[in-house]
Amino acid sequence: MSAVLELDDVAIRFGGVQAVGGVTRTVDAGDFVGLIGPNGAGKTTLIRIIAGLLRPDRGKVMLGGSDVTGESTSARVRAGLALTHQIVRPFREMTVLDNVILAAGIGYTSGPLRALLHVSRRREAERAMEILGSVGLTGTERRLAGELPLGQLKRLELARALAVDPKIVLLDEPLAGLNHAEASRQVETIMEVHRRGITVVLVEHNLEEVMRVCRRLIVLNNGVVIGDGDPWEVMANPAVQEAYVGSGMMAHAEA
Amino acid sequence: MYYIDLAVTGVSFGCMYAMMSVGLTLVYGLLRILHVAHAAVFALGAYVVVLVANATGSIALGFLAAVIVTPLFGIAIYRLLYEPLLRYRPDVPMIASVGLLVLMQDAFRIMFGEQGVTFRQNALSFTTFDFHGVTISAVQIALIVTAAVVFAGLHLFTTRTRTGLGWRATVSRPKIAASFGVDPVKVRYLNFAIGSALAAVAGGLVALLNNLVDPSIGFVVSYKALAIIVLGGLGSVRGTLVASLVLGLVEAYGTIFIGAWLDRDAIAFLALIVLLMIRPQGFTGARTA
Amino acid sequence: MSAYTISIVSIIGINVILAVSLNMISGFCGQISLGHGAFFGAGAYAAALAMVATASVPLALLAGVVAGSVLGILVGFASLRVRSDFLAVSTIGVNFLFVGFVRKQSWLGGEMGISGIPPTGFGASGNMIMILLLACATVVFSLYVSRSWMGFAFRAVGEDEQAAATLGIGAGAYKLAAFGIGTALAGLAGALYAFFTQFITVDAFDFILSVMLMAMVVIGGIGSTWGVVAAAVGLTLLPEAIRFVNDYRLLVFGGMLVLVIRLAPGGLAALVHNLFARTRKA
Ligand SMILES: Nc1ncnc2c1ncn2[C@@H]1O[C@H](COP(=O)(O)OP(=O)(O)OP(=O)(O)O)[C@@H](O)[C@H]1O
Ligand SMILES: [Mg+2]
Repeated sequence: MSAVLELDDVAIRFGGVQAVGGVTRTVDAGDFVGLIGPNGAGKTTLIRIIAGLLRPDRGKVMLGGSDVTGESTSARVRAGLALTHQIVRPFREMTVLDNVILAAGIGYTSGPLRALLHVSRRREAERAMEILGSVGLTGTERRLAGELPLGQLKRLELARALAVDPKIVLLDEPLAGLNHAEASRQVETIMEVHRRGITVVLVEHNLEEVMRVCRRLIVLNNGVVIGDGDPWEVMANPAVQEAYVGSGMMAHAEA
Repeated sequence: MYYIDLAVTGVSFGCMYAMMSVGLTLVYGLLRILHVAHAAVFALGAYVVVLVANATGSIALGFLAAVIVTPLFGIAIYRLLYEPLLRYRPDVPMIASVGLLVLMQDAFRIMFGEQGVTFRQNALSFTTFDFHGVTISAVQIALIVTAAVVFAGLHLFTTRTRTGLGWRATVSRPKIAASFGVDPVKVRYLNFAIGSALAAVAGGLVALLNNLVDPSIGFVVSYKALAIIVLGGLGSVRGTLVASLVLGLVEAYGTIFIGAWLDRDAIAFLALIVLLMIRPQGFTGARTA
Repeated sequence: MSAYTISIVSIIGINVILAVSLNMISGFCGQISLGHGAFFGAGAYAAALAMVATASVPLALLAGVVAGSVLGILVGFASLRVRSDFLAVSTIGVNFLFVGFVRKQSWLGGEMGISGIPPTGFGASGNMIMILLLACATVVFSLYVSRSWMGFAFRAVGEDEQAAATLGIGAGAYKLAAFGIGTALAGLAGALYAFFTQFITVDAFDFILSVMLMAMVVIGGIGSTWGVVAAAVGLTLLPEAIRFVNDYRLLVFGGMLVLVIRLAPGGLAALVHNLFARTRKA
């Protein structure tokens, strides 16, 4: 199997906090990886480094075999990466539909000149409607994104990430803030995405769902990997249990 | 001796810039708004000083009136203009602020004439002292002494008094300060009041220096003050002080070296743009990707 | 048509180009520029020099566009590096620097400016027609941009650069494009202005002009081409129609800027839009 994502000794420090302390990992094409760890473990920071939203102090990020460490976020997205933000960032002043159309139009927005020469949005609008349907947002298309409740915005994040037609998606807590029914629906969507051949990296505190869907589990604590492998084996690892003691996470998973 | 004269000029202008800019940088630190209309407060202060001084014959009364009127005015700007606009992106209140400045400036012109107002009696403006060939005017001394007193007082206020400590804490750590029971709205009022009073004092002293208050008095100074607070690392009082003094000196000496091809008033912006190219986050800003 | 009408219409045309071009930078792409007067001025000076040297209208137009956009792209690079509120201050600085620099240059006429710019040969009404045609072209272009994918991407960049980046939209290239296009058009307006007055001094391009242009954009409704056109026409005519406004121009413009932002931050375009929405519902 070929690697879609490789990290080589990635590290970043904020003031006195070593948020990510030298992570070296490879993610194979088509895998479904859970990335977990207690609050402040460095999950979001790692995702942001992979996406190019943060520059690491050291280390290399490779996408599909090529080094993208110096590349911008938009270039990485064009190379097949997509992500959802833990704290949702829709374009609040655009409609829900426009948010997704813009993502679906990634072929037109590669550069200003190309963008200037194209006007029609019909095809993108059709695709956007389909994607909105698949995440369960049909009926909200015409509303301004800023008016949606958090649960729907989480789904909009996912819709936009899917619309850029990625090879790998990094999902940062896509289930947080959703109720039980919404969460299982969102998980269904993510599993469907995976079935279509897209590699998924899922950051989630909802361990129940993580254990159910992930084929591989990476556990981060204080910015370093303390467990990696088959989810059940990893969870049985004493170091991992140790990290979770007191955070109440195990209880949560067993519930 | 010429070079020392220039140093005196530079330092006294630097003191004026500092008093003008400190209110601006504090408003930025607190609200993230570029309070361009601060220049109108500066001009208002200058007008109040000259008008009251002419009416009563006492320049001291003029300054007293100015430090009473302008804080109220500054607070009114916050309450009526900025507070309702806080939820928009910071450009929105800034543009409103530019509008207010332009409006006030024209209002001064309409009310008090294009030529402006001069002091009826102003012995101070023409008093100069001579120290071994270095000439220094009474107003320049007043500028330097006032600034020294004001900043020393401000330092004591923010390090020794409860209110002052709360103020400083709110500027640097708003959430933490609030959790210690500091009322953020009161801090804002205090901030506008003190900043406005300082600008008014600076305006009054400039009026004395030129023996004139005309409608454009606040104009150039205000934009320079914007450059200064960016140079000083937005929100930092110490940085603003340093940037003000440096700018005063650079302008004073710069007129000799680059005055032939650039207006003195543009020097601040040259420095600003050069700095932003080298350090886009300002002197003290944090690093981001 | 009287000479007076011709000159008013010409000025309206020039202001429409200026306001619509500023709207592309600040409205479409969200990059607040308070120095549009500098690009206008750069275009005017370049066109004036080209006219004096060659007396060729096409060359002078080209010179204006190139001068405006070269300066604009330089400032655009600054916009890539600084935060949005720093950018506003930087553009104010660019305006002051431009005026402060030109005033001291003897080859640009210093304080006296450049006079005796050769006529275009079209006559006053010919100039007016050229100005109007180019103003219409600018409006059409602006409407097209806002419908194209470029306008779409501009809006995204203006609202949230990082979110745009996660959809594959590189903010930098778009910001440069906005500055390049907007300032090229400002340079064009500068050339037209030089043709129209045949005499330019640097005071015509000062910061106050930049504030006036921003007032047109904000009052018209930032981002709305038609709103901005209406505001540019209205705010140019107002001082001519009402004596009071002419005497107290800055008072009125400043006051309108404050009131509109305070009462209707979306500008006139949003007011009209809401009105329509309400009547349609009723
Ligand atoms: N921009 C920043 N500046 C300073 N410190 C930061 C910054 N971003 C994150 N940190 C710190 O880095 C550490 C890792 O944060 P991160 O957000 O990556 O954790 P996380 O695993 O995503 O946690 P959570 O589960 O709560 O989302 C934390 O200690 C956090 O306080
Ligand atoms: Mg996180």
